Amino acid sequence: MGPKRVAAALVGAALAVSLVAGPAAAATTSEIANQLICQCGCYAVLANCTHGECDVRDGMTSYISQKLADGQSESQIVEYFVSQYGEKVLSSPPKRGFNLTAWLLPFAAILAAGVGVFFAVRAWVKRGVNEHVPTRVVADPDDAAYEQRLEAELREYDDRGFR
Amino acid sequence: MTDIGYVLLVVALIAAVYSAIAFVIGRRQGKPALVESGRNAVLAVCGLLTLCVAALLYLILTHSFQVEYIASYSSRGLPLTYLLSSLWAGNEGSVLFWAWVLSILAAIMVVQKRDVGADLVPYAGAVTMLTETFFLVLLLFVANPFRLLPFTPPDGNGLNPLLQNPGMFFHPPFLLGGYVGFTIPFAFAVSALLSNRLGDEWLVVVRRWTLVAWIMLSIGNLFGGWWAYVELGWGGYFAWDPVENASFMPWLTATAFLHSMMMQRRRGILKVWNIVLIVATFALSILGTFLTRSGVLNSVHSFASSPLLGSMYLGFIAVTLFGSLYLLYLRFPDLRSEAEMESLVSRESTFLLNNLLLVGATFAILLGTFFPIISEAVRGVKVSVGPPFFNWVNGPIFLAVVLLAGVCTLIGWRRASLKNLRHNFLWPGIAGVVLAALLFALGVRRHPVALLAFTACGFVVFTIVSELLRAAGARHRIRGENILKASWGLVTANRPRYGGYLVHIGVVLMAIGIVGSQAFNVEREATLKPGESVTVNRYVVTYDSHDEYQTQNKSTYTAALTVSNGGHFLTRLAPQKYFYADTQQTVTEVAIRSTWAEDLYVIPVGTQDDGTATFKVIVNPLVKWLWTGGTILVLGGVVAFWPNRRKAAPAPARAQGEHDGT
Repeated sequence: MGPKRVAAALVGAALAVSLVAGPAAAATTSEIANQLICQCGCYAVLANCTHGECDVRDGMTSYISQKLADGQSESQIVEYFVSQYGEKVLSSPPKRGFNLTAWLLPFAAILAAGVGVFFAVRAWVKRGVNEHVPTRVVADPDDAAYEQRLEAELREYDDRGFR
Repeated sequence: MTDIGYVLLVVALIAAVYSAIAFVIGRRQGKPALVESGRNAVLAVCGLLTLCVAALLYLILTHSFQVEYIASYSSRGLPLTYLLSSLWAGNEGSVLFWAWVLSILAAIMVVQKRDVGADLVPYAGAVTMLTETFFLVLLLFVANPFRLLPFTPPDGNGLNPLLQNPGMFFHPPFLLGGYVGFTIPFAFAVSALLSNRLGDEWLVVVRRWTLVAWIMLSIGNLFGGWWAYVELGWGGYFAWDPVENASFMPWLTATAFLHSMMMQRRRGILKVWNIVLIVATFALSILGTFLTRSGVLNSVHSFASSPLLGSMYLGFIAVTLFGSLYLLYLRFPDLRSEAEMESLVSRESTFLLNNLLLVGATFAILLGTFFPIISEAVRGVKVSVGPPFFNWVNGPIFLAVVLLAGVCTLIGWRRASLKNLRHNFLWPGIAGVVLAALLFALGVRRHPVALLAFTACGFVVFTIVSELLRAAGARHRIRGENILKASWGLVTANRPRYGGYLVHIGVVLMAIGIVGSQAFNVEREATLKPGESVTVNRYVVTYDSHDEYQTQNKSTYTAALTVSNGGHFLTRLAPQKYFYADTQQTVTEVAIRSTWAEDLYVIPVGTQDDGTATFKVIVNPLVKWLWTGGTILVLGGVVAFWPNRRKAAPAPARAQGEHDGT
């Protein structure tokens, strides 16, 4: 297995682990509150409900604290809210089934586009080298004097990474 | 006065339509007089809408509550500043504000003297005036700010107390200014397509326009975040709400455009891409307005829920998108790249990667924002997509973007040799490793992502600062100037490049603030009797007493808190809670003690009958870095925008080297 394959396997494994593992085990009320949306109509995360006074937020938050004190697990508490309000109570869609489209599609798209960009650049380079297209100089009349000066500086300092 | 306002709108609509027609016919048939007439009509639209805004302001200041808009968003008790801000506080007013700003920009566009791109103005003017027409139609038929009530209420509803904050005074006009500002680059792109002038001309014209809009949108977003932080009282500044996302997405694509336009100018590549980016930026700007007014997505920010208004915006977005993409399709053969890349490893490649990541992030945010609708359509199940999703998906992308800001500085234009790369990366690499070790030792290791992010930020700052010092040093040696003068000379001689570097430093400082406050914030909620304390990190917050009093429109509760650290007095804080009886609304005023290390943020949660009070105390590290970084980002944008002094009769020669831009 070459180094590239090893790297690819590692990235794949890391992605898989992060997908399976999900958020770290939460133990506090605020950590669970961050996984839920307040149902008062503010559409904010429960911990961030912006209403000055909100019975729904207070009710949901005290339920979490109460059940944590009773020894219920994080998943039991979250499950209770899902059974009450449906999946929309969760502050992000669970990483399974169709929801994976949202979680993974951006990375897939970036990777696919990245491959496209790679081949495009390679083609441009190849064509540029074969056809000896002169390096493009762009018009910005204001810069002519500075250009000359800078080119002189660049010649002198290029090998030291000035650019 | 309402009739005058309405008539002014009608005349402005006629002038806008006339202007668009005159521009098109004048340009197609080569009749300069007609084009000139179209130009005058643009000035007329601007004048008419200025009068219209003046009329609405007059009605607001004279408390003309028979006007529905004024009764809804102002009141007699409102201070002058917020009376002014009620101009854009509601749907109708903000649409008028949009139309007005667009008319001002259009007027500047048509009167500007230009060395390049003069031939593009007529079609660009027509596109701008067609956009103006859309907003004027909205104002006349769907969102008329001059509509009268059948009765005159004694007082208005007033402005939502949450909006009575300096941040909210500045946030909407800058945000709207940014949105509107992208109309001009979009119009020039469409004009380039229509007139088949697909060279760099339109890019030369739109660079500054795009920068202005980008700066405005940046300021608007920063004020929005700052307002959320100091006023909403949940301890955060960005909640990934659909509408917040909608203002972030055009900023991302505009940032991508500001980079990719350099690729076309330098290497003759990305010609199609540049047009796609500016069309996307414009469409995304309208999308934000659509989201606040259509009610299709649940948002904190919705202020109108009109299906008619929503569908009109959607129709406009569709026309814009399909129209410009169709034009692009027609011109596709003329937009061939000139293929001037010399190497895979070059600064050019980092620009392409930067575009890929910024647009990838935009796609991720767009997908997340609309996923509730997609999920309901596909599975029939409603889901919410909130901060955990957006942070998870965007975190790695933005980390890569930040890293790229440093890497690009180290890779030469055109071609980078291995020796060159090794040399350039050596010291920044060592600096990064040393910083990582230092942070690890200081305890940042408990949060590996933050360790990685801080290291990347340090690496980028090191590369940019050393690049600046090296260049200033070169100038110092060649010209004998002292370092300060040499640095200043360097920046003023090439503002786009060094303005860009300044923006990068701003972004890095913001990233430090965001990572610090997200990864290391600590919060505690405590119910205290007077005299009792709660300890959060090193802070001991003692609840001393409280005060309650009634004023004309609200009752106020103020808690007096003393903050100390290890027995040393630090400060007193006074978080407040207001209750507005007329609207039955409770508003919290958080108290913040801000330092470069962290913010102590106290939210008054509630009071109980037994005399106890509940407080949420949050220690938010490095938030000040976010605001400072934001300010530097805006300053960098202004430096990049600042025009060079016009020189006498510059030769239109193609003579620019490798130094323009970052």
